[in-house]
Amino acid sequence: MTDSTAVSYWRTVLEVARKDLRIELRSKQVLNTAAVFALLVVIIFAFSFARTFANIDVVASGALWVAFVFAGTFSVSQSVAVEEADAGLDSLLLVPVDRSAIYVGKVVSNTAFTAAVAVITLGCIVVFLDFTVLPGTTPLLLLVIALAAFGFAATGVLIATITARARLSDLLLPLLLVPLVIPVLLAGVELTRAISEGLPLWRWFRLLLAYDGVLFLIGVALFEYVVER
Amino acid sequence: MGTISVDGVTRRLGSTTALRDVSFTVDSGEHVGLFGPNGAGKTSLMQLLSTLASPDDGRIRIDGDEVTPDATAVRAKLGVVSHRPMVYGTLTARENLRLHARLRTVDAERVERVLEDVNLRTHASTRVEDFSHGMTKRLSIARAVLHDPTVLLLDEPYAGLDQRSAMDLQRILTRFDDRTVVIATHDLERAVDDCDRALVLVDGTLERTVSLTDLDRHSFETEYLEAVGRSDLQ
Repeated sequence: MTDSTAVSYWRTVLEVARKDLRIELRSKQVLNTAAVFALLVVIIFAFSFARTFANIDVVASGALWVAFVFAGTFSVSQSVAVEEADAGLDSLLLVPVDRSAIYVGKVVSNTAFTAAVAVITLGCIVVFLDFTVLPGTTPLLLLVIALAAFGFAATGVLIATITARARLSDLLLPLLLVPLVIPVLLAGVELTRAISEGLPLWRWFRLLLAYDGVLFLIGVALFEYVVER
Repeated sequence: MGTISVDGVTRRLGSTTALRDVSFTVDSGEHVGLFGPNGAGKTSLMQLLSTLASPDDGRIRIDGDEVTPDATAVRAKLGVVSHRPMVYGTLTARENLRLHARLRTVDAERVERVLEDVNLRTHASTRVEDFSHGMTKRLSIARAVLHDPTVLLLDEPYAGLDQRSAMDLQRILTRFDDRTVVIATHDLERAVDDCDRALVLVDGTLERTVSLTDLDRHSFETEYLEAVGRSDLQ
């Protein structure tokens, strides 16, 4: 990759992500819907499981990651639906740049949306479930959320693009996506527990980082073929 | 600049052959119309020319660059208007064009000039979702010509437009007369005005090439109906 090619590649990444963020900030479809869902999940968990479970942190961690899966799935689904609605994606595909830049840009924006909803959920579980987040562990927890959101978005953008033109695409997306991101979710749940209980983290961090890397590279390599007619 | 060479192109979609061994050339600055009944292969051919799909057999070259291996170089020369708008409804007209200007390193002044060219300057801050069909089509043309392409590919540009909007659009398109233009349309009347030559596709095969210079609409209609096997409609 020459210098000018690299510059246009990263410019495309930035512009695609910026465009997605601008559309979301204007429509607030993902943030509003996912935040309301997150609140509902936390309230239901608070009134059902919280009374019977001895360890409230386990319930809180469950609520966080249930809301995360919904927010992530809804985010990638909406993000690709916006591209399909008026063939916006086709206009991006006509830009003279490696098409994987479009994928990377969409992964960045979807990581931001999913992580934002997860942070809102985290706030809800602190308030409603009395989940203890020590000031010293907060950056670590935010890092886990960001890494998990990245892995989820890396797979989600690819799968949502594949299923976008299929009949029953809304049904197909979670069916194909959730099994593929189980290691990301497992690592997220275990790391949340480990952080709150002061257990060793490295084993699950390694899994999360490795899986994120593999999913992202697969996405970068396959996106060109996925969008080809 | 802006020559197109299509050589023995075949395109299969599952068990259907959308295009079968299609060959033609388009000279620099020439305006060529693609005609044919629904399902003739016009959109498939436009997708191949615009690098959104790849041929199963054959070669397409634009200014000598082959569409499949040199897709990035080819895309820099193309301006594409599809029957779908290819713009974002939640963004304003100006935001849509500025996005593409930044992606293609075109300066912001050019965005304003192009908005003026397509008569959208006064609506530049309006969200595209509030536009009429005709305005959206004009914005789509603005997006396509923003980077000053040498080749314009127009797929059904007049589809869904009322008579007045179609005339407006036709007038706007005359501003880009110096480019090579390939236009797929059902509108025979406008095509006779717009194009130098017509290619008639039937069932994925290039059935006939008709020079439109000195040919009136009625004579072209006769030629067209013969080519698509519907002489009985004359």
